[in-house]
Amino acid sequence: MRLKLNSPSTVFTLIRYWMKGRFNRVTVIWMIMGEVFSVALVLFVGGTFLSFSSRFNLGPGLSYVGLSLLFALFLVGLIQSGFNGSGLPVSAADVEYVFTSPVPPSEIFAAKVLMNSFTTVLLSFPPILTLYLRLGSSYGTSPLAAVLAGIATLAFFVLGLFFSADITLSLNSGIGDRLKPVRNVVLVAVAAVSLLPLGVLIPGVPSIVAQAAGILPSGLAAEISYGLVSGARWSVGSLIDVVLLGAWFAILLSLGVRMSRRNFLEVLQINDQASDDGLQGAKVRSRLNTEGRPLWSVVRAKERIVMSRTKETRSLIINALFLSGFMVIYSLSGVFQSSPTSFLFVLFIIGSFGSGNATRWLEKERLWLIKTSAIDLKRYVREVFRARVTPLLLVLAPVAAAVGAPLLLEKANEPGSLLAIGLSLPSALEIASLMMAGGMYFAARYGQSSSDETLATQGQDLADVKRFLYQTVINLSLVAPLMGLVLGAAPLLGLIGDSSIFPVAMVLGAIGIVYTLGALDFILGEAGRSLETREDL
Amino acid sequence: MLGPNGAGKSTLLKIVVGILRPTSGTVTVAGKDIAKEPESAKRVVGYLPENPSLYTGLTVKEFLSFVGKIRGVSDDLLRGRISEALTTFSLEEKTDALVGTLSKGMKQKVALIAATLHDPGVLVLDEPLTALDPRTQVFVNGWISSQRENGKSVLLSTHNLEIAQDHATQIAIIDKGSIIALGSLESLRKLAGSGKDARLDEVFLKLTKDAA
Repeated sequence: MRLKLNSPSTVFTLIRYWMKGRFNRVTVIWMIMGEVFSVALVLFVGGTFLSFSSRFNLGPGLSYVGLSLLFALFLVGLIQSGFNGSGLPVSAADVEYVFTSPVPPSEIFAAKVLMNSFTTVLLSFPPILTLYLRLGSSYGTSPLAAVLAGIATLAFFVLGLFFSADITLSLNSGIGDRLKPVRNVVLVAVAAVSLLPLGVLIPGVPSIVAQAAGILPSGLAAEISYGLVSGARWSVGSLIDVVLLGAWFAILLSLGVRMSRRNFLEVLQINDQASDDGLQGAKVRSRLNTEGRPLWSVVRAKERIVMSRTKETRSLIINALFLSGFMVIYSLSGVFQSSPTSFLFVLFIIGSFGSGNATRWLEKERLWLIKTSAIDLKRYVREVFRARVTPLLLVLAPVAAAVGAPLLLEKANEPGSLLAIGLSLPSALEIASLMMAGGMYFAARYGQSSSDETLATQGQDLADVKRFLYQTVINLSLVAPLMGLVLGAAPLLGLIGDSSIFPVAMVLGAIGIVYTLGALDFILGEAGRSLETREDL
Repeated sequence: MLGPNGAGKSTLLKIVVGILRPTSGTVTVAGKDIAKEPESAKRVVGYLPENPSLYTGLTVKEFLSFVGKIRGVSDDLLRGRISEALTTFSLEEKTDALVGTLSKGMKQKVALIAATLHDPGVLVLDEPLTALDPRTQVFVNGWISSQRENGKSVLLSTHNLEIAQDHATQIAIIDKGSIIALGSLESLRKLAGSGKDARLDEVFLKLTKDAA
């Protein structure tokens, strides 16, 4: 199967200009920051994984599970984007200028795939290599093994891009309602198979169950990469894994090349968030009943309806379910023990949900409506926050409970640990709330302006860099007292005496709540003030 | 209000409706200073931005109900006004359609309804005819005339000189952030030194050329 190109130079011309459009001075700064952040995160997570697995004698198995889940997540995301028609991301400019040019679709396909592969490899290689070098140094394998494992992983990433592109290309005129159940079944099946390696962590589950994930490219890539960095002996099975991964690669590439020969351009979805915010279906039932309701109740109801119609609530629940399952199995494996580090891990993972959720607050571009009415913007921001934080907490509370129940039972006889765990779980929700409020503040203060082109693209990118840095620092400052409270609980109880566990828990818990309410009031007030004074709406 | 691109028309309108604060001077709307009495001033102003961004996740009915609520319209009045406006704008069939699924012309109609739900005495319209098809332009043009006839003050920014000539009792020409001419068409003709039958486009070109 050969990709027939009438003019390869056109492909490289496209790539050259797309690259120019994608990488400017500011995006390079972003990239470097992202790489540094990723490498630091990888070192932290890798180190945590290794310390857990050695403490509980899980061996390298935990790393294998972690890799499998990471790759599975990547694969599921790409399959979903393939079904959504964004397997080959295009911009409005692509549609208006490239698709209307006489360049054949196969050449556009080649250029897209090459560019996406190149950027994926460029962005992913440093953190992946760092992770494998870290794991390799722990398992006593050579740097060469880490490099080879990195190459296998990158091959999987590129393969995943082909997979996503192939699904999009195969849709002809888009997914349509008829194919949606098929998509959901595929996604659930892939997710279910991808979770099988977790069986390694549960005593009594046969190893063959975990190996069944090897039918997917994500499972194969995890097995090969893990085998290389852990220094596992090469066997016929390993060779079969490599051949199977290569076969997936070749088949998916061939399919893409074949399908790109016809006109596939009409199935691609423009990556334009402003077009309809992911809305589907023209007719729905009007649910916002304003009659007889107080103004602020209407504001909250409006926010909830918008969240549900833009699928925000659904994605929140899906993410929380995934996190919940992961956490439960993780805690069943005995990883979360009395070490304060593990509490921090739980707090950050759960709490980071708030910040992520806030990034989807799309309100600002519509604030001309609010700002030209007579209502109080500070109160408005608080009410929007209330509407958005409620489903978040309702979803996160069961996750916290699922993580906490086994830990609390396990540590019932250790007052210090019991107190710290007991405090850490509500703190996770408080952190999520604070991070959401922090996210909304930064969206209000530095979020992109939409109706005016006050800032040039580069200026806006620079504002985003600033926003990211400020948000990280301020969010960490906001949650630091709560983290300190949890970490300081056990030593404090040691000083006062174990018999005082109940009053100490009550006092510290109350301090946490009072602090959170005060900090929320402050940061949301600042968000409202920022909206009042912003002049680029 | 007429003026070249970037002259400051939209900025001035945003100051009038209370989105931006004036760096100097005052803006009085229906006798109320927008900076000192923003709530009172906003109650009497209806605003249509140049590119209105609406809540695309709400249906037309939900969106208008929400806007009416935040503009302080009572429930009884709001129900009737929404129903009447949807009929006037031929949008009855779109009552339960998501705003995000409407065409640009329909969105513009929804935004116009939203601007008038609280029955403001002053309408501030920023290029209301931009990118509309001819049929919708004719409709919106007629709607603006009817608003004037109903006694509302309309402050309109446009690049369409015919629209300005048809509607305006007072014309302001803005260039580089300043009003370079203000008055009736007749007074602008005099200012430009044009004949008494001179068209507005000739007057506009002459005045903006002189300013440059």
